[in-house]
Amino acid sequence: MTATPLRKALFSTVACAAVLTLALTGCTNTGESKAATSGGADQVVKSSDGPTCALADYKGDKFELADAVVGFSQSEKEDNPFRIAETQSIKDEAAKLGVKKLIVTNAQSTLSKQISDIQDMISQGAQALIVAPLNSDGLEPALSVAREKNIPVITIDRLLNAEGCSDYVTFLGSDFVEQGKRAADQLIAGTGGEGSIAILLGSSGNGVTTDRLKGFVDQMAAEAPDMEIVAQQTADFSRDKGQSVTEQLLQANPEITVIYAHNDEMGLGAQAAIIAAGKTPGKDIQIYSIDGTRNAVEQVAAGAYNGVVESNPRFGPLAFATLKSFLSGEAVSQSIVIEDGEYDPSNAAEKVDLAY
Amino acid sequence: MAYLQQYGVYIAIVLLLMYNAAFTSNFISVDNFRTQFIQMVPVLIVALGMALVIGTQGIDLSGGAVMALAAAVIPLYIGYGLIPAAAMAIFAGCLIGVANGAMIAFIGVQPIVATLALMVAGRGIALVVANEQLKSVTNPTILSLGRNSIVGVPYSVLVAVILVAVVALLVNRTTFGKQLVAVGGSRRAAELAGLPVKRILMTTYILAAALAAVAGIVATARLGASVPSTLGNLIELSAITAVVIGGTPLTGGKVKVVGTVAGALLLQLIAATLIKNNVPDAYSQITQAVIILIAVYIQRGKLAVR
Amino acid sequence: MITPTGTPRDATVLEARGVTKRFAGITALDNVDFTLHPGESLALMGENGAGKSTLIKVLTGVYQPDAGELHLGGTTTTFARPLDAQRSGISTIYQEVNLIPLLSVAQNIFLGREPRDRWGLIDFKQLNENARTLLDTYDIHVNVRRPLHRLALGMQQMVALARAVSIDARVVIMDEPTSSLEAREVETLFRVIGLLRAQGIAIVYVSHRMDEIYRVCDSVTVLRDGKSVHSGLLADLPRVELVSIMLGRSVEKTKRESLTAFGSARTSSQAPTLIATDLTRKHQISGISLEIRPGEVVGLGGLLGSGRSETLKALAGVMKVDNGHVRVGGRLVKNGSVSAAIRAGIVMLPEDRKAEGIIPNLSIRDNIVLAALPRLSVGGFTSRARQDAIVDVFMKRLRIKATSSSQLVSELSGGNQQKVMIARWLAMNPRVLLLDEPTRGIDVGAKAEVQALINELADEGLAIVMVSSEVEEVVEGSARVIVLRDGSVETELIGDEVTEHHLLSALVGEPITVTKELP
Ligand SMILES: Nc1ncnc2c1ncn2[C@@H]1O[C@H](COP(=O)(O)OP(=O)(O)OP(=O)(O)O)[C@@H](O)[C@H]1O
Ligand SMILES: [Mg+2]
Repeated sequence: MTATPLRKALFSTVACAAVLTLALTGCTNTGESKAATSGGADQVVKSSDGPTCALADYKGDKFELADAVVGFSQSEKEDNPFRIAETQSIKDEAAKLGVKKLIVTNAQSTLSKQISDIQDMISQGAQALIVAPLNSDGLEPALSVAREKNIPVITIDRLLNAEGCSDYVTFLGSDFVEQGKRAADQLIAGTGGEGSIAILLGSSGNGVTTDRLKGFVDQMAAEAPDMEIVAQQTADFSRDKGQSVTEQLLQANPEITVIYAHNDEMGLGAQAAIIAAGKTPGKDIQIYSIDGTRNAVEQVAAGAYNGVVESNPRFGPLAFATLKSFLSGEAVSQSIVIEDGEYDPSNAAEKVDLAY
Repeated sequence: MAYLQQYGVYIAIVLLLMYNAAFTSNFISVDNFRTQFIQMVPVLIVALGMALVIGTQGIDLSGGAVMALAAAVIPLYIGYGLIPAAAMAIFAGCLIGVANGAMIAFIGVQPIVATLALMVAGRGIALVVANEQLKSVTNPTILSLGRNSIVGVPYSVLVAVILVAVVALLVNRTTFGKQLVAVGGSRRAAELAGLPVKRILMTTYILAAALAAVAGIVATARLGASVPSTLGNLIELSAITAVVIGGTPLTGGKVKVVGTVAGALLLQLIAATLIKNNVPDAYSQITQAVIILIAVYIQRGKLAVR
Repeated sequence: MITPTGTPRDATVLEARGVTKRFAGITALDNVDFTLHPGESLALMGENGAGKSTLIKVLTGVYQPDAGELHLGGTTTTFARPLDAQRSGISTIYQEVNLIPLLSVAQNIFLGREPRDRWGLIDFKQLNENARTLLDTYDIHVNVRRPLHRLALGMQQMVALARAVSIDARVVIMDEPTSSLEAREVETLFRVIGLLRAQGIAIVYVSHRMDEIYRVCDSVTVLRDGKSVHSGLLADLPRVELVSIMLGRSVEKTKRESLTAFGSARTSSQAPTLIATDLTRKHQISGISLEIRPGEVVGLGGLLGSGRSETLKALAGVMKVDNGHVRVGGRLVKNGSVSAAIRAGIVMLPEDRKAEGIIPNLSIRDNIVLAALPRLSVGGFTSRARQDAIVDVFMKRLRIKATSSSQLVSELSGGNQQKVMIARWLAMNPRVLLLDEPTRGIDVGAKAEVQALINELADEGLAIVMVSSEVEEVVEGSARVIVLRDGSVETELIGDEVTEHHLLSALVGEPITVTKELP
């Protein structure tokens, strides 16, 4: 009784897999934009003031990266350009420096998985860790294991709610508040300080959203108090939500002339909505966003988008350089803020290759 | 009360329309209604398939993943034109349906487990197919599917209307439709009545996947881009809600097509009302939850009275 | 309403006054009065759909009456839910077994009243022991740790009974408790009832079987079309009169139409329609061979677990056999395929109507046409006209009582649901009809109709196999009885041998004296 259905089921599953595989192999090279990861601009340190941390303070032994096992814990699924570029940059740099072994894990946006990922890597013999935390809190169980074994932890892109040089060595990342502020500057310059603004917020409860909003709003209040923010709604960092929400907002508030999106994807969604509403993006309604993805920068170059503030994901070189000097006994800053680039109509065409 | 129970979802729609007419600027306009209809299309199409699946006492969590897969497949074949690309996208979606159906009908995996597996795996496959890239879609035919209208009716809405009619016909007028609800009412009794239960389940999951694939195509056309990473994320939940608000019980054995349309419309109006009135996200989530709970409660009452 | 003829007893345990209950389009109970005295054993009688189950559900808090009131031990009361009634000492075995299939026998019996250990967790050892002791008292032998759904329907009913009596009850209500029981189990049930009565517990007993009524009850309340039309002592009421009250016909007319409607069953000498050879399935049946000829009704006798239902299932393709085969009209029927069996003309009325028969969410029409749907459709589209042509015929022929063919089948009384099931299969024009308990839960009137129908179908040339736990029905309805024991054919009774006496002896392997109480 069970034999035939089982066989049928197996057959269909195998057939399914086979066809999908065909689809893949036939098409992997048709990608319209090549993943330009390490090819882009390296991160530049903008500020590294404040307290420092040296191997002697943190405790632990010196060793050479070339003989070392290093673990990298990625936080979110690699389904967006930022994460893809970030992981790729770490891998590329490790290969370039000839690190003996790099273990890469991905927590798939699950905190408990990130904790066990880190613990696993330690038990696999990782001697140093680079961690992109999923959340500012909650990693203590994993960090305490690293702490006990004096394994240096370098955190990137999201600041932990913990003590530098104690729970971790140092943090490398962008200043998201600053990014919001610069987006405001771009917007004021591009519009001449006139118009009504709609903001597409990132996911609620996300620190990046809060910071990019705060920097923007404060700067607007200071520099262009006459510009009105008529609506701010979340579009969850996603393109299709960006489109739907923009459509609704444009209809309810026809006076909107500028859109500020917390990431490029939402900005591109807004662009589609503007086109659908029969208006010209970049002219009738301007768009500004943060990230620096290739798709958005190309639009800036084409004049259908007005400005992009970069959030540089290429942490590899800086992370390993910091790790190297720390291991050699030098003191490193506990907080290293990187310099982010900027794309506007004047430079987008020439800098488009730097986008990721 | 009985009246309320029967028509809860329609009353809610009317109340929301009245609220918006009074308080939301530019709400009563052809353009606005067109936007609402266009935006509800993907949820509605996924919900149609979901209604069929729920009718068999099943559930399908893989709709969003199928949308993503369809979106990922389109750019690969769009060079040959919209029809071949759409056909391939639907075909790829159907494969997910085959996997769902095979596990559920032949191996006896619980629908929620089987389709949860494909919800995760399906999006993974979509990302692999897309080489983890977002791709702009520039083919004018597919863009016009997303953006143009025929006598004032957007093509995407037209597609949805046709699909609603087809599914309604399927459910109410065909042998398959009757057999589907019979399986949902009592699988054992249907088996003993000689119905090809396994084939019916298999077909239902394939249909649901095909519909989700169409939703993926329409959404991609509208967006002008293939975004497999986020397209249709958690759309299953909206679809299930639309189906349940529309009067299809989760216990199966009944499929309400018109109710499902009303359910999807209600969800769309709720979202639009909250966005247009610039309600902060936290409040809007709570409001949505409350409205949905009330609607579902009313429906549940209806069942209890039966 | 006829006044009670017996000596009035003033104390009542449970009373209903002027109870009315309406469903959409139907008044199931219309101003019904009902009185139950302590220690009384009351029969609640009536045709299918008369409102018996509905009255019981009102008495036990499943339904809220639209009008009227309940009195418990003399004081007015309402039961918001079944638990309230249970707490007031009213224990019920519903018509359809409603225990929890995945829980064990012991857990089902003590559901909600499990013994706890010192941590407040269920003390399973104690639980199982309590269950075993209880079941032993009533001579019910079953492994108390088995999940309920693994038991045969009759055994499940016994578990429901054990549960009902284990609750400290003043009143035990039983809605057709014997319909799925074996002769032997029926005896057990009656013994239990005797014990309950000795303790002064009042009994409400619903059954369509006259013999039982006269054996266990001393008074009767008759419902007809939702009204209470008679209350009185049974001793004063001859059987024919009771039936005529139930049916609302004159006594003369009732007398003319005998109570079982089976004509003289005939054997047939034509070539067999169905030949089964050596059907075997591990632990179920072994080496069963039989031949059924056109126009012949063959009874399958046997006790519970003898393999009667399993044999039918094997014939109908519901159960796959390890060995042996079935031929219809000389053509081999694919093993273990219901649709192949149906195509060959073999159809089966399943034993468990609720779980295996009706599709509760569908209308009467959809239930009747379910199997025949493809041939009533045009190019995959259903045709209402073609469906109605069939449905109307069978609703009339079987006298299915409903507001319309669009009514939900779940709203029908048990007997009418059974008729819908029969209609489903007759609509298929079968060659071989397998009937597992065809008259279970069917009232005297309808039972006679169904039995007459079986005769008629046999006359039309159908080959019929019937399983019934009513010995009388088997004997009167069959020309031939194949007796099974432990999964294989024990003996076959033909012609003159087909008597209750012979059958009972063959069933248990020893002679039994049959006492038949007649009015
Ligand atoms: N939930 C319901 N909804 C609608 N009608 C119902 C419902 N329950 C019962 N009825 C109707 O009420 C009437 C009485 O039904 P009930 O089940 O009480 O009959 P009964 O006397 O127990 O019959 P049977 O001997 O066949 O079990 C029937 O006509 C039935 O169709
Ligand atoms: Mg009943």
